[in-house]
Formats: sequence, C-alpha cells, structure tokens
Amino acid sequence: MTTNVRPVLEVRGIRLHETAADRESAVHRCADVLEELGAVHPTYREAMLDREWAMSTYLGEGVAIPHGLDKSRALVRRDSLVVLRFPDGVDWDGHPVTVCVAIAARGDGHVALLAALAQILLDPERARELRETTDAEAIVAMLSQEDL
Amino acid sequence: MIRSVLLAGRAGLHLRAASQIAVAAALAPAAVTVRTMDRPAVAADSVLALLSLGALCGTELILEAHGPGAAEALDTLAGLFATDLDVAGA
Repeated sequence: MTTNVRPVLEVRGIRLHETAADRESAVHRCADVLEELGAVHPTYREAMLDREWAMSTYLGEGVAIPHGLDKSRALVRRDSLVVLRFPDGVDWDGHPVTVCVAIAARGDGHVALLAALAQILLDPERARELRETTDAEAIVAMLSQEDL
Repeated sequence: MIRSVLLAGRAGLHLRAASQIAVAAALAPAAVTVRTMDRPAVAADSVLALLSLGALCGTELILEAHGPGAAEALDTLAGLFATDLDVAGA
C-alpha cells in the first residue's frame, strides 16, 4: 500500500547546536529527538542503528539521513522528521556530516521528502543555506515548499 | 535510444535502491539519463539526481542512452528499476 503523505517537520524538531563524538552518537541524538517528539517507540532507535550499520545513510553535501528499516515501520507512531545540525561535523564513514535529517515514516512518504532534500542539495546555494542558516523556520520552509 | 520502465520497488526509489542503481550506471558502458513525466532528465549515475525524481512504485521512468554500449546500459538499468531491490536476493 502506498501513501504519499510527507512526514511532518516542526520547528521544535530542528536542533541547530548539536555535538556528537561519532556517527553512532549522532544517530542516538536523532533518535532522542524523535522520541522526545513522541514520533517513535523507544526501540526505533535500534532499527536506526541497524539500518546505519547495514549501509551508511550518507546522502551527499554534508547531509546524512538516519532512519529505520522497512520492518520497523510499526515502531513509528507519527510520520515525522527532525533536523539536527552538528556545527563541528561528524565523521560519517569518511564524509564530514554537519546536517542529519532523521526520518520516521510508515509509508513511502519519505520518498517525496528525499526528493525535496535531493533537489536542495543539487543546488549549491540552497545546500549551503541548509547547512548554515540559523533560522529554524527557514529550514522548515525549505523542506516543506518543494513542488512534487 | 529510449527505454521505458515502471519502477517496481514497493517502497519507491529510496536511498539504498538509488545507491545500487547509481553504481550500476557508473559501471555501464554508456551514460544513461532518467526522467519521469514530471521531472526533467537526470544522470543515472548520481544518487542525489535519482532521488530528486521522487519516483514511487509504479512511476514510469524514461531511460535514454546513446552511442556504443547504449543498449547494454539500458538493459542493465531497466532491469534494476524493474526489480524490487528490497526483496531478499534481488
């Protein structure tokens, strides 16, 4: 079954001043915020880590997209995404990551979100804005206004 | 040379599938572009470009390649798009 509902991004799901010693800690922080928002069951964290170790979620342009596995959909309470920025960078299997867009989605709505994100990252100006803006509202607007 | 294929992956064209296809495109004997009815042609060897299409299961993808190796490259990529890459063993 397909659903085309975009996961929900809220300003309180945007964290601009995160730090993490490594990739695993960064995924934990992403899971923390998803849990804090009531978006996922606590065990979704393990699915995110399993997915990360199965294959890096590095997307490009300093952005990674930690998310769960197909079989962990039942652990998603509410389709959501959160954006965590790591100004000091996190080593992501050789790539420096400063932005994590963590996704919790039950349907295939995350494909539309990924498309929006990819379109931003293919545009150097917008990619830079995503990495550098200090305005959480601007991030919500960037990720919500794609015409798909 | 143009080939049309329907995306088979039930979860749509997500990161893992796009990564697998981009690698195959990079290794293919001719450069391949992909477009949909809604989105202009992009290079099939770029993960970001493939994801930017936002293709869901059943989306029609139009593949294009030219010159020597075009048919082989199209066969390979059309085969991958027409396979649900999430199914074990695929």
